[in-house]
Amino acid sequence: MWIAKAVTWGKSSIMELILFALCAILAFEADGFFSVDNLLNVLRNVSMQGIIAFGMTMVIISGEIDLSVGSAVAFAGCLTAYLTESLAATGLGLGASVALAMLGSLLTGFAVGALSGFIRVRFGVPTFITTLAWMTVLTGSAQLLTGGFPLMPFPEWYNFLGGGYLLGIPFPAIVFALVFLLTHFLMGYTTWGRSIYAVGGNAEAARLSGIDVARVKVVVMAVVACLAALAGIMQSAEIMSGAATTAKGWELDVIAAVIIGGTSLMGGEGKIRGTLIGVVFLGILVNGMTLMNISEYWQHVVRGVLILSAVLVNRANQ
Amino acid sequence: MSETPFKLATKDLGKDYPGTVALDGVSVGFAPGEVHALIGKNGAGKSTLVKMLAGSVVPSRGQIFCDGIEVALSSPQDAFAQGIAIVYQELSLVPGLTVAENILLGRTPKKRGIIDWQATYAQAAAVLERMRVDIDVRARTGDLGVAKQQVVEIAKAMSLDPKVLMLDEPTSALARHETENLFRLVRGLAAEGVAIVYISHRLHELRQIADRVTVLRDGRHIDTVVMVETGVEQIVQMMFGEVVQRERPGDLLPGGTTVMEVQGLTCEGKFAEVDFSLYEGEVLGIAGMLGSGRTELLKALFGAEPADSGKVVLQGRSVDRPTPARMKALGLAFTPENRKEEALVQAHSIRANMCMASMGQIASGGYITRKMEQAVVDEQVAKLQIKVASTEDAVSSLSGGNQQKVVVGNWLSTRPRVMLFDEPTRGIDVQAKQQLFQVMWDLSREGIATVFVSTELEELVEVCHRILIMREGRIVDEVRPETLTADELALRCMGEN
Repeated sequence: MWIAKAVTWGKSSIMELILFALCAILAFEADGFFSVDNLLNVLRNVSMQGIIAFGMTMVIISGEIDLSVGSAVAFAGCLTAYLTESLAATGLGLGASVALAMLGSLLTGFAVGALSGFIRVRFGVPTFITTLAWMTVLTGSAQLLTGGFPLMPFPEWYNFLGGGYLLGIPFPAIVFALVFLLTHFLMGYTTWGRSIYAVGGNAEAARLSGIDVARVKVVVMAVVACLAALAGIMQSAEIMSGAATTAKGWELDVIAAVIIGGTSLMGGEGKIRGTLIGVVFLGILVNGMTLMNISEYWQHVVRGVLILSAVLVNRANQ
Repeated sequence: MSETPFKLATKDLGKDYPGTVALDGVSVGFAPGEVHALIGKNGAGKSTLVKMLAGSVVPSRGQIFCDGIEVALSSPQDAFAQGIAIVYQELSLVPGLTVAENILLGRTPKKRGIIDWQATYAQAAAVLERMRVDIDVRARTGDLGVAKQQVVEIAKAMSLDPKVLMLDEPTSALARHETENLFRLVRGLAAEGVAIVYISHRLHELRQIADRVTVLRDGRHIDTVVMVETGVEQIVQMMFGEVVQRERPGDLLPGGTTVMEVQGLTCEGKFAEVDFSLYEGEVLGIAGMLGSGRTELLKALFGAEPADSGKVVLQGRSVDRPTPARMKALGLAFTPENRKEEALVQAHSIRANMCMASMGQIASGGYITRKMEQAVVDEQVAKLQIKVASTEDAVSSLSGGNQQKVVVGNWLSTRPRVMLFDEPTRGIDVQAKQQLFQVMWDLSREGIATVFVSTELEELVEVCHRILIMREGRIVDEVRPETLTADELALRCMGEN
């Protein structure tokens, strides 16, 4: 009886078990891995991509995708810097300028995502295509805003948002935890979350059940883009500048974390908790390999192989 | 049987499926040059018989003869080899390929491993020429209308030079004049000596096309008759048999209050000028053959498909720009015809499916937990007697009848004022059907009105207070079930009276 229960539990928590095993191996093999400082460091490194990954989980469960999140991060950082500079130039105080600039970036992100969602439901253009287009548009726009050089208008305190600590915990990690709790609650305990699963599982059945499919798709696209803008602001705070070249290729890491966490690219299936595991898994892997002095080239290869293995494990488990 | 002139014949053919006998004791022969219609209600065994003749279902007992010699058709290839070809109801063409490629799919002539286009077009054109139809073999198949695609499908079968051609409901998607053309084509093929097996449930077509008719009912071979010697009434009688008319409970009395009023509802090419009122606690049936516009009408009532003009009045107010979400909020519920594609998320749990439409009612202020859902789900499972091991199992693990009950339970939890059922009894067992009728009657007692669309006319006669007859997109008649039988209703649906 208890064996059967253990097997069921093991099957449903397979990624947790693998993550645990990975930590155990690294604790012995990688010097300095199992220290509070290092683990907090891992948490800080994964938190910005992680924030986006939770939004991406909602998007993928709803049956859509967003390939533009990496460019959206860079764009939001540059836009925040640009707006801060422009607003401050009008004589507005630096603090107020930064605050307004951040708000402007978040709203712009929201609008960009909502537009992808709108194009999806109104004209039937797959979000794969729309967000691929956004990817180059946003990268180009970031370059246009900055003129190719990083903008550095930020006041000293702004660095706290990306590099600061609160009660000894990195500030981005706190935001990461909050976004996790919020999205976990949304997906698990609200009619809104239930609607996202239904839309991704069978959009026509959801529509005929009186669920507003168009609204669901528009809002999830807007939410992930808004979270990417939030990550972009924190990123710009960490490096204290708006630079168009940051966050290149993040979309792939983010999608990989979601998939490793067991979310189906077909839509309708997945969990925020799984994505948390996926994000931490990738972060620990990179950290451990760096501590073990494994060359960066090898790190890429290992990462790719592990992503594929994780998906195969999840598949075999279904 | 060696002295018979039949190209293809069966003797005591039967097929068992676990728990049911799908077909039993069918002895029938198809002669060269005849158009032989197979007719029967849904579930009568038509498709089982055809599939056995096409080699895709293996018979449980009985024999099949080709030219008087017994044969075993254990695969579609065996059937091809005997000169038996079939055109299924669903088109199987590749829309992106040319007509010629589709006709010769998998058999395109090649020269040194490369497709010989000259020969391909010439061969395909020759097939169409023989059928005396004018379609460009170089056209992209997807650009053709449904009627022409149907012809291409037949040409594909004819390119195998079959001796027996089976057509499964070939006119179901065709307009009237297109049907005429198809009939001309079919008669031409018969004149060349091909035995045509024509499956349909459109009775009025039979007089135009069939030489002989075989009637199946509940898996049994009722009779084979010569069409010119037989009246349509006789055939309907054979299709329905002696129906034991069950009584509707006597305590169901619809109130006088109108809950829904439909005024001049029109959707171009689907239905037109539909007017009716629905009363509190009434069970209203809509009878009509396939293609009469009944499904489209029901979807428009629910706001799932837009109507061009006319209005739906609910609670005394006309609903403008209806959507399913809005109609649900106004107290409408709808169980669609194709529950797999339109009503359920197959991979999700029974619980999730049963809360899909009703989550708004179950939640409090958007907050919802499994516990809240479970209480509602358990209530419906008990009430509708759904057989489940665990409500966390995928809904796809349930039988058709139980899946339908999940859909119904889902909507009942929204506490609707009007339930719209589109073909709710399709593919479900007798017991589940009776339970479903019970649900409609229970709703009626609570004052909730039901609109019930079904092709199973005896069900409408049994269950409803009033039946609207729909034909070619219009409501042509209104009848009381007490005043007529299912076969009379069938005749009216087909416009025979």
